[in-house]
Amino acid sequence: MPLWWPLLVASLLFAIGVYGALSRRNAVLVLMGVELMLNAVNLNFVAFDAQLRDVLHGGQTFALFVIVIAAAEIGLALAIVLLVFRTHGHIEVDDLRELADRDEPSRTDA
Amino acid sequence: MSGLLLVVLLVPFATAGLVLATGHRSGVAAKGLSVGGSALGLVAAWTLAISRLGDADPLAHVFASSRTVGPPIELASYVDPLSAVMLLLATTVAFLVQVYSLGYLADDPRYPSYAALVSVFTGAMATVVTADDLWVLLVGWELMGACSYFLIAHHWELADARAGAVKAFLITRTADLGLLFAIFVLGERFGSYRISKVMSAIVDGAPARDDLWLPAVLVAVAVIGKSAQVPFHTWLPDAMPGPTPISALIHAATMVAAGVFLVARTYPLFLSAPIALTLLALVAAVTMFLGAAYALFTHDLKRVLAWSTVSQLAYMFGALSAGAWSAAVLHLLAHGAFKALLFLAAGSVIHSVGGATSMDSMGGLRDKVPDTFVTMTLGFGALAGVVPLVGFFTKDAVIHGAYDQAVHGHLVWPWVAWLMLASMVATAALTVAYSLRAWLLVFFGPGPEESAVHDAPAVMRVPLVVLGVPTVLGGLVVTVPGVLGTPPGPAEGDLFHWSTSVLMTVLVLGAGALVLDRYRRRGRDLWPHLVVPHTPVDRLWDLGLVRPVRRLAVIVRAGDRDVIDGYADGAAASTRGLGGLLRRTQNGSVQSYLMVVVVGAAAIAVVAGVLA
Repeated sequence: MPLWWPLLVASLLFAIGVYGALSRRNAVLVLMGVELMLNAVNLNFVAFDAQLRDVLHGGQTFALFVIVIAAAEIGLALAIVLLVFRTHGHIEVDDLRELADRDEPSRTDA
Repeated sequence: MSGLLLVVLLVPFATAGLVLATGHRSGVAAKGLSVGGSALGLVAAWTLAISRLGDADPLAHVFASSRTVGPPIELASYVDPLSAVMLLLATTVAFLVQVYSLGYLADDPRYPSYAALVSVFTGAMATVVTADDLWVLLVGWELMGACSYFLIAHHWELADARAGAVKAFLITRTADLGLLFAIFVLGERFGSYRISKVMSAIVDGAPARDDLWLPAVLVAVAVIGKSAQVPFHTWLPDAMPGPTPISALIHAATMVAAGVFLVARTYPLFLSAPIALTLLALVAAVTMFLGAAYALFTHDLKRVLAWSTVSQLAYMFGALSAGAWSAAVLHLLAHGAFKALLFLAAGSVIHSVGGATSMDSMGGLRDKVPDTFVTMTLGFGALAGVVPLVGFFTKDAVIHGAYDQAVHGHLVWPWVAWLMLASMVATAALTVAYSLRAWLLVFFGPGPEESAVHDAPAVMRVPLVVLGVPTVLGGLVVTVPGVLGTPPGPAEGDLFHWSTSVLMTVLVLGAGALVLDRYRRRGRDLWPHLVVPHTPVDRLWDLGLVRPVRRLAVIVRAGDRDVIDGYADGAAASTRGLGGLLRRTQNGSVQSYLMVVVVGAAAIAVVAGVLA
């Protein structure tokens, strides 16, 4: 199998993921975009591992690591999403702007 | 011997440190330490000085030497007969002042700091008179200025005392610049800061007349300021709000005497540059008359003595400028003794009438303070030049020196010498008049009520008696002028001259008779009191120096606020503006941040690809 097949699939997945992460307003869909990007990377790892015939199979090992980290990350992120929903009543990413740098009465001297 | 010198130099400073450390806990400890320390210094100084009088070899010792760029700065000492007699004078008067202060400042809460400063002052004077390095001398010189500032401002809750202290400090510091620059010039010219080396280089090198006019004139400016001569004379009378023993210390033995001492020490420099001597002669001629005239009209006892100090110091400068080196130094010593006596006696008088210094509140005190009366009479007699007290001999020696210079001399311009001689004679008459007036006003006539007057304690009277001894017997020194060794100036011959003495005695008697006659006719109101709150010279200084400096300060302040602060404020404002631009991007939308990251990464990738 030529190398460019999996690379093409991976880049398509990555592009979809980026698009999802950047454009979706729903936090769960943003997370799904992030997962797509991670899995695109996994596909690259595995493809290059097979192509380069790595004796230690570093690519596959790294893919396993990424899966574990992605699982942990999605658990943490979903917990945050749940907390956001409890406190705000919605999970629209656009409306979560508490961290914006804006003038506050106590900081007018700055 | 150098160990002994070290004791003389260090004991006063050690005493000051101990007194300051323990004084606030125990008054007795402070008193014991300060008197004990000055007694130790006195014994060491006498032991050291006695062996150096006459034609003994001077003690020269270098304690340490610095290896710097330019001529080395050395902690060097040099004790010749001149230093020795100055040490004797300074340590003796300082010791007596410490003893006297036990009584005078018995209940003063600031006694420890006072006693410590007196000790430092003594140490500074000892440093000046034994220094062989110009920088060491300058350190002692400035230390005295600082100590006199603190001591004059001892009663700092009085506005007078504060103003007097600041004035004394500023005026002497201004004049001290002369000494600083003289040191630069001398060091540059002779490649050494050692006074003995520089002086012997001048003597051996025999530079052309007035070749060294610059350092000589600079030194002259410094000593004119330190010794309160015209036009720097106004600080000394204004320093009078300080405690009276301090006046005795500053105006008799140390600070103002240091000016005369410095000229005597650097005399070869002045001999090689008679232009500086002429300057000194002119200043002295004006100062002695002016000081005596002020003393004649003021009604404040301490100010009479202060102006008389100014006038008598001018005598010494007159003698120095006339080449009468020994006469000047002897008059300095004599004046140190009898003026210390006069100030301490004046302190006793002021103490007895409850602190008033105006002579209007005194009178008829001769029965109530008998010891003070006798000793102060001797002091006034010596000041006026009455036979056979010490002032008579030394003043005659000074006047004869000026006469010699006027007739045969070539150091100063002839008319200056004649002017100085005339001024000296006129001042001698005025001195008799103001001494007699002060004496009459204080001790005769109707006085304050009996109950208000109380005699001084014994610790204040004993120093008076001790100082009475040199005041009476000091004249004997004139008969053994060899005690000062070989004077650096022209040969002076005998210091005692029948003709001058007889003439001066006639003058003294005449002036005294005039004043007594006036007193018989007009009573205590001899002549109108003249209040001189601000002398015209003060106004000149104000216009010429103080106001320009203030104006400059205003300009500098404006420049600091409007120009330098402008840069700092501008930097802050522009930073804040830039920050305002950047914060527009911080809108809180995480997705837009991410967008920037992705686009940025893509851009970097594209650029890297293109470049590769």
